[in-house]
Amino acid sequence: MSKKAIVYINQFFGQIGGEDTADYEPTIHEGLIGPATAINAGLHADVTHTIICGDNCMGSRTDWAVEQILGMLEGKEFDIFLAGPAFQAGRYTVACGTICKAVKEKFGVPVVTSMNVETPGVLMFKKDMYILQGGNIASKMRQDVKAMVNLANKILDGEEIGPAAIEGYFPRGIRKEYFRPDKKPASERMIEMLLKKVNGEPFVTETPIPKIDRVPIAPAVKDLAHAKIALLNTGGIVPVDNPDRIQSASATRWGRYNIEGADGLEGGVFKTVHAGFDPAAADADPDVITPVDALRALEKEGVFGTLHNYFYTTVGTGTTESEASRMAKEIIPYLKEDGVDACIMVST
Amino acid sequence: MKLTIGNFYVKDIVFGDELSYKDGVLTINKEEALAFVKEDERITEADLYIAKPGDKIRLCPVKEAIEPRVRPDGKGIFPGYTTDLRQAGEGTVHALKNTSVLVVGRHWGGFQDGLIDMSGPGQKLTYFGGLQNIVLVADTNEEFERYEQQKMNDALRRAGHKLAEYFAACVKDLQPEEEEVYELGSIRNRGEEVEKLPSVVYVMQPQSQMEAMGYNDLLYGWDLNHFLPTLMHPNEIFDGCIVSGSFMPCSSKWSTYDFQNTPNIKALYREHGKTINFLGIIMSNLNVALLQKERASQFVANLAVQVGADAAVVAEEGYGNPDADFIGTIVALEDAGVKVIGVTNESVGRDGAGQPFVALDEKCDAIVSCGNVGELIELPPMETVLGELEALGRDGNSGGWDYDEKLGPSVREDGSIIMENNGLFCSDQVVGWSTKQMMDY
Repeated sequence: MSKKAIVYINQFFGQIGGEDTADYEPTIHEGLIGPATAINAGLHADVTHTIICGDNCMGSRTDWAVEQILGMLEGKEFDIFLAGPAFQAGRYTVACGTICKAVKEKFGVPVVTSMNVETPGVLMFKKDMYILQGGNIASKMRQDVKAMVNLANKILDGEEIGPAAIEGYFPRGIRKEYFRPDKKPASERMIEMLLKKVNGEPFVTETPIPKIDRVPIAPAVKDLAHAKIALLNTGGIVPVDNPDRIQSASATRWGRYNIEGADGLEGGVFKTVHAGFDPAAADADPDVITPVDALRALEKEGVFGTLHNYFYTTVGTGTTESEASRMAKEIIPYLKEDGVDACIMVST
Repeated sequence: MKLTIGNFYVKDIVFGDELSYKDGVLTINKEEALAFVKEDERITEADLYIAKPGDKIRLCPVKEAIEPRVRPDGKGIFPGYTTDLRQAGEGTVHALKNTSVLVVGRHWGGFQDGLIDMSGPGQKLTYFGGLQNIVLVADTNEEFERYEQQKMNDALRRAGHKLAEYFAACVKDLQPEEEEVYELGSIRNRGEEVEKLPSVVYVMQPQSQMEAMGYNDLLYGWDLNHFLPTLMHPNEIFDGCIVSGSFMPCSSKWSTYDFQNTPNIKALYREHGKTINFLGIIMSNLNVALLQKERASQFVANLAVQVGADAAVVAEEGYGNPDADFIGTIVALEDAGVKVIGVTNESVGRDGAGQPFVALDEKCDAIVSCGNVGELIELPPMETVLGELEALGRDGNSGGWDYDEKLGPSVREDGSIIMENNGLFCSDQVVGWSTKQMMDY
């Protein structure tokens, strides 16, 4: 049984009309209209339907338009959803991205679209889907459709999708290992890059340095004497049986542990599971990482209000920035719910 | 300084009556070799195996790899470590090529150990999957670290270093099939033709993070934690001045085999006099304290300027904390007017969405990137396991686990495995072998 596809295009490519028909409400048509014909010609699936929607309609009545289209797709069999190509038409790119994202989420099918680099759609949706790097004008139709079809066919055929630069889509914010077919070793790549850099010729780094995501320093706590302070750490201090099974390195898990009424953490009751340093000192006295003893003393002196009843733990060594920020997002609601005013984060 | 490496290309390894090399066949008397290993009383149990490309063999936990070598002049191959101190990098050394001595724990592994597959989809993941390997599988009486996650593996690693020289003894007096000659004179007075070319230093950052002694890479037997950057001759690296340590997630490690053969240095040698003027090595390290990192970076940049380097290649043996040394050293060099290429691996996580390095700086604009330590790898069962596969999940291997709510344990009942690249033996090959490259997806 051959696979099936559905294509989304705007009012212009759907042959409804130009700018004066941009408010055109979504319709679904059996068969091929406009670019759907060219897509169907090369695709390893049959395009069964074409959806047409005006760019203004999708842009100004987005939720309604998406809902209409999702309703039209309900009960239809399709293995892939394609939108565009949208070239450099700003609203059309956003429309393609919007509907592709919604279809992918609702029906769990792969989606493919194409846009020019200079469009808002690329910025908004490149992390969510395969967007082929498209031309700036509609005369690039043939090559943009071909690129979409090539990638869609790989998906349909269950082939591995290669790197963005080779397949021609916009990077989705994911980096992976690629075994070079030419087997060119790092030593040769090093020499080539070295000679180019030293001779002032253009070169391409294999690791683009991402925009540095700095967290602004929080304002000072205004009323420390009444503040509730929580203790967090990446030093892996856990109850000796490590109930949350926090990993010793490359952690993906965190835990919180009750310290209500405790004047300090005792060795033998708590320990560290961190594999990035010699654990002897922290196992003997966990307070060297999570200074519950010192904080209790300051609490009694009235330096700050109260110590939060839980301390929070993960392991920092080898833990990626993306996992760390996910764990933070999971921890924050607990802190907020318990009315914590400030945190002490101990790193090791 | 001139070093001649006389190569003997091993096509096959067999066990037999007498240690010998003939027509590409290395014959090993197993009993004699094991008796030699057991001269170290710490070794309680030992056996030898042969693992060739295509064999249905999985090795785990692998602790070290060494190229078998011997010097016709009778001097030791690892000066200041297995034998007396001498100047490395001069004279002649004979090498058994396409082969390595692999050291595998009979039972116990740790954070720093690795896995090698000799066939199947895992074979291409390590350099050693493509070599004829002589495998020592052994256990020791080092009870103090039996259940430690961080192990020095001293007895096992030393056994490997000594065995490498023991096996190569059979080619000590033979005529090599091929000779590689590495000769590089003083940095000064190299003649106009060479001196007009851009001058380049290779900056090495070997592993030295452990404050306790016995885990770090050793330079002429000296722990690199107690060290400040210095100028060295590239031949010293080829001639056993440095041996690998026992710390750092394994994919990032440089084995002794890697040091002995460092392709990046060989590539710089090949270009010397043609496109570059190769000045030599600045040996640095990767200590953990910020001040130590800054001090080392300052030394490297100053040395590079003093020797007149126009450009530098910086390579790090590690990730995470060491990224601060790597990035800091590149920035110090760039600030001193030296153009830098970095060679390293990334830690973008299982999902590939993480930040590549712990430290970032826009001055690091030319990086050769050899792998993702967190890449998730799934491998089918293997007919034969040398060592103990359970070590991957049980003993705190940096790329293995005994429990994961989504993925299950690393080692499954049928012998198939799921792990992070972190736990593959020296798989990121930052020394220059790596045919992997990090790409955007």
